[in-house]
Amino acid sequence: MSIKNKNKSKGNMTDPKVRISWKEIKQQKVLLIWSAVIVVYGVIFYYLPLAGWIMAFQNYKPKDGLWHSEFIGLAKFQQLFSDISFLKTIRNTLAMGVINLIATFIMAIVFAILLNEIKSKGEKKVVQTISYLPHFLSWIIVTGILHDALSGSGIVNEILRKLNLVDQSINFFAHPGYFWPIVAFANVWKETGWNAIIYLAAITSIDPSLYEAASIDGAGRWAKIKYVTLPGIRPTIMILLLMNVGNVLNAGFEIQYLLGNGLVQSVSQTIDIYVLKWGISQSDYSIGTAAGIFKSLVSIVLIVIANQIAKRNGEERLF
Amino acid sequence: MKKKLVSILLVSVLAVSTLAGCGNKEEQKTQSGTDQSGSGIKEFTAFFATPGSEINDDNEIQQIIAEKTGVKVKETWLTGQTDSEAVGTLIASGEYPDFIEGGSGTLQLYEAGALVALDDYLDKYPNIKALFTEQQWDQLRQDDGKIYWIPQFSCIKNEESVCTHNDEAFWIQTRVLEWAGYPEVKTMDQYFDLIESYNEANPTMEDGTANIPYTILCEDWRYFCLENAPQFLDGYPNDGSVIVDPASLKIIDYNTTPTAKRYFQKLNEEYTKGIVDPESFTQTYDEYIAKLSTGRVLGMIDQWWDFAYTAGDALKQQGLDAQGCNYVPLPITIEEGIQNQWHNSGGVLNVSSGLAITESCDDVEAALQFVDDLLSQEIHNLRFWGVEGVDYEVLDSGEFYRTPEQRTTAADSAYKASHMCSYSYFPQYSGISDDGINANKTDGQPNEFYEGLPKDVQACFEAYGAQTYVDMIGTTEAPGAWYPMWSYSNTLTTSTPGGTAWNKMGEIKHEYLPKVVMASDFEAGWKEYMDAYESCNPQDFLDEMQAELDRRMEEAAKYN
Repeated sequence: MSIKNKNKSKGNMTDPKVRISWKEIKQQKVLLIWSAVIVVYGVIFYYLPLAGWIMAFQNYKPKDGLWHSEFIGLAKFQQLFSDISFLKTIRNTLAMGVINLIATFIMAIVFAILLNEIKSKGEKKVVQTISYLPHFLSWIIVTGILHDALSGSGIVNEILRKLNLVDQSINFFAHPGYFWPIVAFANVWKETGWNAIIYLAAITSIDPSLYEAASIDGAGRWAKIKYVTLPGIRPTIMILLLMNVGNVLNAGFEIQYLLGNGLVQSVSQTIDIYVLKWGISQSDYSIGTAAGIFKSLVSIVLIVIANQIAKRNGEERLF
Repeated sequence: MKKKLVSILLVSVLAVSTLAGCGNKEEQKTQSGTDQSGSGIKEFTAFFATPGSEINDDNEIQQIIAEKTGVKVKETWLTGQTDSEAVGTLIASGEYPDFIEGGSGTLQLYEAGALVALDDYLDKYPNIKALFTEQQWDQLRQDDGKIYWIPQFSCIKNEESVCTHNDEAFWIQTRVLEWAGYPEVKTMDQYFDLIESYNEANPTMEDGTANIPYTILCEDWRYFCLENAPQFLDGYPNDGSVIVDPASLKIIDYNTTPTAKRYFQKLNEEYTKGIVDPESFTQTYDEYIAKLSTGRVLGMIDQWWDFAYTAGDALKQQGLDAQGCNYVPLPITIEEGIQNQWHNSGGVLNVSSGLAITESCDDVEAALQFVDDLLSQEIHNLRFWGVEGVDYEVLDSGEFYRTPEQRTTAADSAYKASHMCSYSYFPQYSGISDDGINANKTDGQPNEFYEGLPKDVQACFEAYGAQTYVDMIGTTEAPGAWYPMWSYSNTLTTSTPGGTAWNKMGEIKHEYLPKVVMASDFEAGWKEYMDAYESCNPQDFLDEMQAELDRRMEEAAKYN
């Protein structure tokens, strides 16, 4: 394996007209074997399970299995889209997904920039470390803390009462209007520090001479952020935004499942909860699969659209 | 070339080590499957789709039972899921424990072909066979004519001996009754009047903590504490999902009766007055139990088993019985003069679920032999009384009793985990044991039961001339052969129109009942609820229930 080979293969990639010769294949035998391993892995763990999607088009019964369950075409999808509670879960998932995306995304960038402005190294490290610790808590703990903090005798109500802002405790979990903001807040609290790490890394890779040049030109702190830092991390921002758009429908399961109750169920239930409730609990695996397929397809569409937009505007993109 | 060699070497080492890893696991598995202590004790696994507390691995009585029967069962319980979610996940994975109790997911297990038919085995195990009459065994047959599960809790040996009211009721703390001079409380209005006036006179506990006059648990499936009281208030038994008119044998929907409206209107009024805990509808089960355990809650509707073992023990350990914080049930109906049926005598045969053996079990005979052994009087006493001389004493007359210290240790959760092992979701008996003297379970032994009661409850019972919880609330004969209808509605799934309606109704009630109680304009709130309720097509559900009722009565008629 030599540098010569590598150069050659690079040449091939840039010039599509060059045919691949046997000699070349032989030369790159090891590389090919290695990539074959990855391909096999991908097929086994990413593509083979997709065969299970067939359940969505069957009246699947565990007893009959995939081979002998009755085929019913799109009936499950029809059932799904005529169910008003499923339509509500789509709305909830999209709404919470978008709110979470915007909130966590902006907060992470703001936080990274603010942190970068701290000149004392020790303090910066302490703040950063503390800020990403919540990421390692599981949702069950976070929801427990939230439930306690927001309860009638919890710290939030206590403070509101002491400040005479309210005379009676607010029951935060009884009002559908509060639910989405609570979820967004929980996400921001848990993930801001963690998400900021990647931006901090991107900021450190900005050439310091740019800052020096900006200073010489008379730029203050604010101008440096605006004209050096932000443009410097712009590619990172774009890539992460694209990847997160694909994740919008993964608005969550645990937090809504754990914080929800009867009173707010019309705004708290997400597609994932719907799958659990009607797919797993009611043993209607077909409808669960159908809902899952719908979610995947929407995600793919979203990510393609976002990518196209990025392409058209000449931004960094995924594919 | 050298690099290549190294990489090949690395890969092979990796491959070998993963393979070796698998091999080890395999070995461990077979080991745990057969023999652990070297004395030939076989180990089975069991999953119960109900919340429960796991016992320690080196539990003492479990070990004694293992030595006597040659079998040990590792039990796991439901945590943080509903029963049908847990069962649905098991079915999707296709791997099951040896024993399973599927709760409301039991029928799904049968439909997935996960359970072993027991018909060919039953005759070989006399203790199991003796649990039920032929008619009852027939009731357990599924649509393929076979028996798949054994209900655990409905068997009474010899005569019935029940001291606890193990079911739903309006509960009230003894301090409230004591303060009012132990009045007769018979209607819902009297109940809330009493709580209101007590709370006005004593707004706090002795240490200054504010009372919570009335709380309602309505988390997930436990929302029965809110929703099904109308059936009892009208004097019907706990059919759970509908009322059955015993005369005409017609299904009545208790959600839309005038009593239902009055009940929710009352709750609405009490909510406005601040008597109903404002956190009622958002609290989790754990928060609810924590509240009860502080002794702050004056009253609530609940099933005994849902709060007594957790909150009751906590109250005892904090010595809150001295303040009268224990709960007693009251015989409450909507109007005076209605015979209440909160408590029924006779075991309730719940045909919808029970202990089953799965296809994953490699030795069905040994498993059933173990169940059979558990029902022998000797092991049964070990399960529910403990070890003689350690957990209980025997009088010369042969009567079992416990010393006060033994009673205290028996309520200690650490001791329960390390010593007691009742295999509580395996088949068992209540009633009187084979010796004709003792009850099969401690809480059925009248003397033992009364002695073990907290002082405040004893004083309260005395004032009402009662000996047991059952005396407090009164008892009625078991309802007709259809009873209980909940054993059918529990098994409904969305595969039928009635089941779909039932699920939607549940969803609507979860959302709208709290809204109705919290509404500033009750009439408008009720109308909104009724409109939403009607949109679920409840008639589909009622029709299926009627069909099942007719079927059950027809089946029962064959044996008369």
